[in-house]
This record gives sequence, structure tokens and C-alpha cells, in this order.
Amino acid sequence: MDEAIRITAEPVDNHRCKFVVSQPLHAAGVRRFASADEAKGSPLAEAIFAIPAGGVTEVIVSGNIVTVVKDNPAPWPAVGKAVGAAIRAAAASGAPPVATKAAPAAGAVDDDVLYERVARLFEDQVNPMVARHGGRVELIDVQDAVVMLRMGGGCQGCGMADVTLRQGIEGMLAQHIPEVRGIVDITDHTSGANPYFQASKK
Amino acid sequence: MPRLLLLLPSTTYRTAAFVDAARRIGANLTVASEQPSTLEAANPAGLLTLDFQHPERAADQAHDFARRHPIDAVVGVDDDTAVVASVVSARLRLPGNPVEASQAARNKHRQRELLAKHNVPAPRFALHPLARDPQELARSITYPCVLKPLHLSASRGVIRADNPAGFVAAHARLAAILDGCDTDFLVEDFVPGYEVALEGLLVNRRLHVLALFDKPDPLDGPFFEETIYVTPSRVPAPLQKSIAQCTERAARALGLMEGPVHAELRYNERGPWLIELAARPIGGRCSAVLRFGGDGVTLEELILRHALGMPIPSLARENVAAGVMMIPIPGAGVLQEVRGVAEAKAVPLVEDVQITAHPGERLVPFPEGSRYPGFIFARGEAPSAVEGALREAHRRLEFVLA
Repeated sequence: MDEAIRITAEPVDNHRCKFVVSQPLHAAGVRRFASADEAKGSPLAEAIFAIPAGGVTEVIVSGNIVTVVKDNPAPWPAVGKAVGAAIRAAAASGAPPVATKAAPAAGAVDDDVLYERVARLFEDQVNPMVARHGGRVELIDVQDAVVMLRMGGGCQGCGMADVTLRQGIEGMLAQHIPEVRGIVDITDHTSGANPYFQASKK
Repeated sequence: MPRLLLLLPSTTYRTAAFVDAARRIGANLTVASEQPSTLEAANPAGLLTLDFQHPERAADQAHDFARRHPIDAVVGVDDDTAVVASVVSARLRLPGNPVEASQAARNKHRQRELLAKHNVPAPRFALHPLARDPQELARSITYPCVLKPLHLSASRGVIRADNPAGFVAAHARLAAILDGCDTDFLVEDFVPGYEVALEGLLVNRRLHVLALFDKPDPLDGPFFEETIYVTPSRVPAPLQKSIAQCTERAARALGLMEGPVHAELRYNERGPWLIELAARPIGGRCSAVLRFGGDGVTLEELILRHALGMPIPSLARENVAAGVMMIPIPGAGVLQEVRGVAEAKAVPLVEDVQITAHPGERLVPFPEGSRYPGFIFARGEAPSAVEGALREAHRRLEFVLA
């Protein structure tokens, strides 16, 4: 089982890297862990936070994709091997690599309520706007008030996708739903087949 | 919090790098592009449309915007927006390069006139009308020569000719590429030699060398497609110093004072020759190989910090070798798929392989095309090892075209 697992690392930048695994690790939506404490009970996330000198600050698991964020300047190949080993070990153990999300504590922001509000904002305002460039923004999940989204159509692979995300969507969320603490884009922009703006200039 | 006006053409590769850098330094960011963002109405302080084709009009638009949202610095990211940034900065009375200097950096003929005037070593050149009979012109040329468009980037349309027949053929290709966009073109001497690229930052006219890249693949034509850049350079130290001096003299000749410069130089037994100088940072996604200081500060962060007058932690590049390969265009055709990416990423020292061409995209080789299908990045102890890793990773890639 373990030997059949294939993992491809796709660094986004020196701090963020997606690990695409050949088998699903967590089918029930998205789980985000912002600290080793939050990772307790989820063997995969625990192992990644425990990587010596890894400087891991965030782990996001969605289906077959594990996104790891670190705050040290070490290049990804050094940390990536340890992440790969953690993924293989967790998948081979037979136990669920990631625990199901617990119900929100009393008084905490309810992610389900936020999900509904963000989904409405996307459908009513964001998507009609990005549709003018053939784009679409899909809400994947809200976890700990962090929005996970995926961009599609003309937005996927678009040279201006980061502008749409950071200058557009993030601002709209801050204005309309200030409880949102952040956005994580889990789009595979390299697979975009019809980006609206395509980088070409030197 | 200072407000930064970032001029991002919709076709730039550098959006993410600059937007991330602006966020990291805590700037209040306004992104201006020549095409309206679909979300501009939702964030009128953060998104702006400017007429990059007409810098004076862009300055009018930016001036109106600045009345509502005062701007502290303007940064362009490529050849065209470097000129727009100068015009807008002048209108808003912000520091920046003089407009004439940015324009001279953008126009290859004006650049060569100023280099010649200030005795900066550069190829001999002449400006010719495209409409002139190429057969007749070919008889007056010294060979080998290089035909160059005045404004195109990324070596697009740059063709070497070794004899009159080659000149006539190159002229026809260049005329087709320009397709009426320009009325003149340059012919300059081909300068044999080893080519390097210098990445620098001008601070009050003084050049700070951020990186000197070797280009180990010979660029002898007939076309001039870039491939591998590796830093630190293996060029002897005294020659590196004279390369930096040549670049600084060129920047002064053009009148550039502040901000990033990217220079292409050759050297031979007669010393360094300035081939091109641009008032912008390195192109494509190549800047991803550059990190500065112990915290891995990016080139874009340095540029933005400098523009906003913020402290710069360090201008010293990290103490390892780094390299990037602009993946050569594999041929003409429609891209079906790219195989071997995982295998290429598995090469020791390779940090990333980014395929920027998308399935269904038509790939056009040089000199008509100029869009690289992707980039390979590597980092290691020695430049030779980095270069070897880039070549091995490239060898493992297979582009399937139809």
C-alpha cells in the first residue's frame, strides 16, 4: 500500500508548497491546522508539525492535497522529503490521517454560518463579476474562519488571478464578512486550460 | 501605511511576486493595469485602470486617483510600465527616474545613441527604415550583424545575419513580426563573446550589484533565445568588477537614477560590451531564484522597499549558487501535455519546475515567438552543480505537441 503512494511537490513559493498525493487522505472537506496544538488527534498534521527545524506554521488537507506553510527560508527539497515521509507513514498506518472537524465551541465563530454567508457573497457578487472574464470562484470550505476557495474558468492560470484574489475577493470579504480571518487558494493554476490573461512578456 | 501604485500589465509573469511582496512589507496596495479588473468596482482604492499605451493620459488618470487616495510611490514591472511609472511619478512629484531616462532605456536606438555619446562600449549600430529596399541595404552592411526591433522584448525579432542573403531573409522575417508596428529597425555589429546578465538596484545613481548571472549556453544566433542563468558568476573577479562599472556607466549615460536595472553584457578580449540595459528587474519568473539576506527576502521586496523609502535589510544575495532555465520552446505546435514534470522535480538540487504554457496553447518558436513554456529552478553549493541539475531536469521533460 505504502509503496503505491506517489507524491508530487508543487512549491507555490518558498513558504508554501502543495503535495499532491495519489490517494485521498481526507475526503470530508478541508481541514486546516494553524499550530501543533490544533493538529492533535490528526496523525498526519501532527507529524508534519513535528518535523525537526521544519518551521511549519500551517497544514491544510483537502482530498488528496496537503498544503504546508513554513516560515523558515530553507528550500523546499529539504523539508519536502520529511513531509513526504510523514504523508506515507500516515497513509500506511490504517488510521484516518486527519480527524473529522469538531463542532465549534460555544461563543466561537461558527464556520457553517460563515460558509453560508461567504457562499452567498460569492454567488451574488463575486461570481457575476468574474464571469465577465469567463471565470468562476468556488467556495470549498470555511475552517476556523479561513476561507478555502478554488478558481476556475478564465481565473484558473490567469496572470492576474492573484490580483483578483488579494485586491478583489479579499477586500470584499473584509468589507462584508469581517469575521473571515484569511483566504487559502487551493487552485491548481498550472492546469488552467483557458486563462483570461496569459503571461507572455519578459 | 504608505500607498504603493503598482503598474502590472495583464500579461506579466510577475503578478504574484509583486503582490506578495507588497503584502509582506505592509504597503497599502493599488494595482493598476491596462485592462479593467472585473472587481474594480468592489475595491476602487485597490484596483485601477490606466492607459499604459499613453503615459501622459495614464498620469492624468493617476493624478485624479491620487486626489482621493494619496500615493507614496509608483513602481512599474516591465519595459513599458517603467516609462509609465516615470511619467506618473513626475506628475505626482514623487521620486523616480527622469522620464527621458526611462524612455531611453525603452528605445533601443535612443539607448545606443546615449551609450555612444558617453563612450560606453557597445556594438556599432545604425537605424534604418523598414521600408528601405533590403537588397540595397544588404550591400552596405558589415557582417556578421544583428537585426533588432526597437521596442520588442525577450529577444523577439532579434536575428543574426552573416551575409547579404541572410540579411534579406532576416529583414523579411522582422518586417512580418513588426507588421507595421514600427517604421524603423536597428542593425548592429555582432559582438562575439561570453554573455552575462547583471541584476542591479540604483540608489541615488549608484549601482548596487544584486546578482551577476552567467549564461553558459552560447548566444551566437541566428536567434537569441535565453536558456540558463546561473549565479554567482564564474567570471574572474576583476572582470566582474569591470562588468559592473560598464553597467553603471551605461545607467548614468541614460540618466537613470533609481530603481532596478537589468543589463545584458558580453565580454571578450577587449573587455565588457553593453548589449542591452533595461530599467526594470529580470523578466519572466526568473527572480524566484534570487533571495537576499538571512531571511530570504525577494527581489520584489527589495524593489518595493527602495521605492517606498523603507529600510532594506540587506542587498547581499544568499551565499549559495542558484540558477534558472527558461525552458526552450520545443517547436511549433499546439501543446497537448508535458510529461516528466515529476521526474524533473526529482532531480537533486532542483527546487521547482513551473510549466506556464497551458494545454491547447500554440507554441511559437523564436524569433516570431518569445513565450517560454516554463521555468526550472535549482539551488546548490556550486554553480556547475546547479547548471547540471537544470540540464538534467530539462532532459527529463517531454513536450507533446500537435
